[in-house]
Amino acid sequence: MIQLSKSYSLPDSVEDFIPIKIVSVGGAGLNALDRIVLDGLERAEVVAINTDVQSLASSVAAHKVQLGRNVTRGLGAGGDPELGYQAAVESSEEIREALANARMILICAGLGGGTGSGAAPLIAQLAREAGALVLGFVTLPFSFEGKRRNAQAREALDRLDQFANAVICFENDQMAEIVPPKAGIHQAFASADMLISQSVRSIVNVIQRPGLIRIGFDDLLAALRRRNGRCLFGFGESDSDNRAHDALTQALKNPLMDRGRMLSDAARILVHIAGGPGMTLSEVEVLMQELGRHVNEQTQILFGTAVDGRMGNRLSVTIISSLAADGDIALDGVTSLPVAVPTPSIWEQQPQPQTSVDSVPESIPMPEPPRVPPIDFAPIEQEPPIAEPAPPATSLSKKAESSSVAAQGRSAPVKKPNPVEEKLPAKQEVLQFEPVTRGRFEKSEPTIVEGEDLDVPTYLRKNIKVK
Amino acid sequence: MASNNLMVGLEIGTSKICVVVGESRTDGTVKILGVGQAPSRGVRKGEIVDFETAMKCVHEAVVDAEQKSDVMIRSVYVAVAGSHLQSFNNRGCVMLPEDRDEIDEQDVEDVKSNAREVSIPAQNAFLHSIIQHYHVDGQDGVLNPIGMSGQKLEADFHIIHGMRTRIQNSIRCVKELPLEVEDVVFSALASAQVVLTKNQKDLGALVIDMGGGTTDYVLYTDGAIRQSGCLAIGGDHITNDISMGLRIPMARAEKLKIEEGSCILGNCLPGDMILLKDDSGFAGKEIERETLNTIIHLRLRETLELLKRRLDEESYLNYLGGGIFITGGCSLLNGLDYLAGEIFELPAQVVHAHTTSGLTSAVENPQFSTAIGLIKYAQAVQRDRRPRRFGRIFGKFFSGIR
Repeated sequence: MIQLSKSYSLPDSVEDFIPIKIVSVGGAGLNALDRIVLDGLERAEVVAINTDVQSLASSVAAHKVQLGRNVTRGLGAGGDPELGYQAAVESSEEIREALANARMILICAGLGGGTGSGAAPLIAQLAREAGALVLGFVTLPFSFEGKRRNAQAREALDRLDQFANAVICFENDQMAEIVPPKAGIHQAFASADMLISQSVRSIVNVIQRPGLIRIGFDDLLAALRRRNGRCLFGFGESDSDNRAHDALTQALKNPLMDRGRMLSDAARILVHIAGGPGMTLSEVEVLMQELGRHVNEQTQILFGTAVDGRMGNRLSVTIISSLAADGDIALDGVTSLPVAVPTPSIWEQQPQPQTSVDSVPESIPMPEPPRVPPIDFAPIEQEPPIAEPAPPATSLSKKAESSSVAAQGRSAPVKKPNPVEEKLPAKQEVLQFEPVTRGRFEKSEPTIVEGEDLDVPTYLRKNIKVK
Repeated sequence: MASNNLMVGLEIGTSKICVVVGESRTDGTVKILGVGQAPSRGVRKGEIVDFETAMKCVHEAVVDAEQKSDVMIRSVYVAVAGSHLQSFNNRGCVMLPEDRDEIDEQDVEDVKSNAREVSIPAQNAFLHSIIQHYHVDGQDGVLNPIGMSGQKLEADFHIIHGMRTRIQNSIRCVKELPLEVEDVVFSALASAQVVLTKNQKDLGALVIDMGGGTTDYVLYTDGAIRQSGCLAIGGDHITNDISMGLRIPMARAEKLKIEEGSCILGNCLPGDMILLKDDSGFAGKEIERETLNTIIHLRLRETLELLKRRLDEESYLNYLGGGIFITGGCSLLNGLDYLAGEIFELPAQVVHAHTTSGLTSAVENPQFSTAIGLIKYAQAVQRDRRPRRFGRIFGKFFSGIR
């Protein structure tokens, strides 16, 4: 007999419930975990793992595992990943027990120290062996913490990569971007924790939430399939009048998304939009259209949406994608100006000799002031300029300029052939024959300095296209 | 001299006309009683192009100030700007007669007139002769030689002059209102009085007053003015550029510049758009933020680089210990201090008039620096005037202009 439930609410059947566990390793990981629990986490279990019993004791997690009873004896790993690893090996049985019965495991850790860097890769390995989907959320140390620590972090990241399906990393250096400059340092760290907590919770929601268009495991896997790739993550939420736009803007501004710059290079993007019952189709449409502007035409977008009564007035957008180390899609059409000073991520990307637009041929004579490199690059020997000496300077300069902007362009700086006063790329395109009207200055005497009439707009005189 | 020591400063600017009423107290501070404003029409690039309209606007501003400060305004100090203003440094020299070896005031006057004996273009008149340093018998850096012994008195002056007719235009405009003109002051000079402290002037500072029509500048080292001048490029040019570049009307361009403009490039997401809401309710136009910023950036960069080239003609930029101080309406543009810092390679900051007392909200707006500076200048002038009430006053300031 078929039983119909009286209140036809959104289906939330138990069989569809996917058990998720959030596993925090090391001191930083436990801090993040406390934040996550504080912000409220449903439908997922939390596990705290550390060598240091003191920090374990003060953690709010229900399930705790102490590593290395004999190796570290309740103290920390002292910043030594080797020790952290040994401790984890000693307690692998307990770890396995803690990881059981989960189909998806999110590992949170701060890399660079002992326990996080040492144990996290092993935990990831054990999690994979248990058959779960493994996602890593890690933080990378500040650059001022020194080369050794950063090297340890990088190494740990590489090893974690081998076992995890995807790793989302947050560089502490970027912390400065998410807090106002005058904020106290505890606020800076709290914001970083909040960021991690937001990311973790939104992933859990994406999987668990009853959806109109469901995003399942397989979709997540597909989006994150790339090995050794950088993971992009963006989350935005808003309840303003213009919430679709604001949520998307917030998602794109997320430091883990690298401000939306790399989005255009991703092959697959997973977008999940969730809102209360008041969410309209037009909002979703507007949001997707706007997002479409940031991504390549060939990018595959996996779209999911859910209506959750608990969201109330809020609308949230979660964007997950991965960027492979080698360029997924040939770059073209990215027309933003070179941005100033992003600290190059610790993640060493392989230089891309294959993409044809990558290098800027210096031999091509450019009559206009040539484009200019982003500021802090050490000049590296150029790969021999590839192809295209023949095509007109204009189209080449456009491509050349676009390539420098993309992330891969980081390894291909340019040397300015001539000294140039203004540090701008001359978007040298068709010369605008605008009527040179005086506009507001009809009645007054022209300002002529050094032979030029300065009343004429600067961009016209310098022949820089602005539209 | 009125017993309540009322001083009024009037700035006939390109974007606004501003009248500031102030009162000088016995302890030397100035209290701002009221600020009157009116939008300015008929003024372009700091100079009056439409007399009638400008007069009306000035009248409006004066009436507004009178209402706000509850006083009758009789005489004002007027600020002038305009690309016709030029400046140079000159040294005057006076030998004392043999029978006397103590320097007195007359000698100081003589050396000043001697310094002015330089040929300036026929249509120009002297606006300011500002003392830099005195030298007595070869001893440099004397600040006040009166009472010192010496045979030869020399003095370095910074002389500002401009076209007589243009300056007289401003004076006539005010006189027709009718109001008395107490004095005519170069606007950057006025701004510098309230924007810089004495310490900063000693360290060395450059004041850039970027207004609607002009960019004025004044450079101090060792407490004395070394360079000054005026470029006829201002906020209006930026608005014009935006209006022509984005094909929107001037009023919208102005609003856009104020609300969303920034001169820092590379700060926006690639697809960041600004929505220009249409008044009629239709979905307005969308423009890329980066485009707007590019237009603004180009114009400001060009202006500042031009300014730098001008200042590089002498090498005083190397001696600026205090850095650059930007004021005026345009200084409110986001990122201008970074751009200035980058171009001049000196620390730059946006400043406003230092609070004396009275209306602080007016004081804290960089747009009013010049007008408030006039009050401070007036105070200094009156302080100097008091011991010498008997006739030589006007000769000092008005020679050549009337």
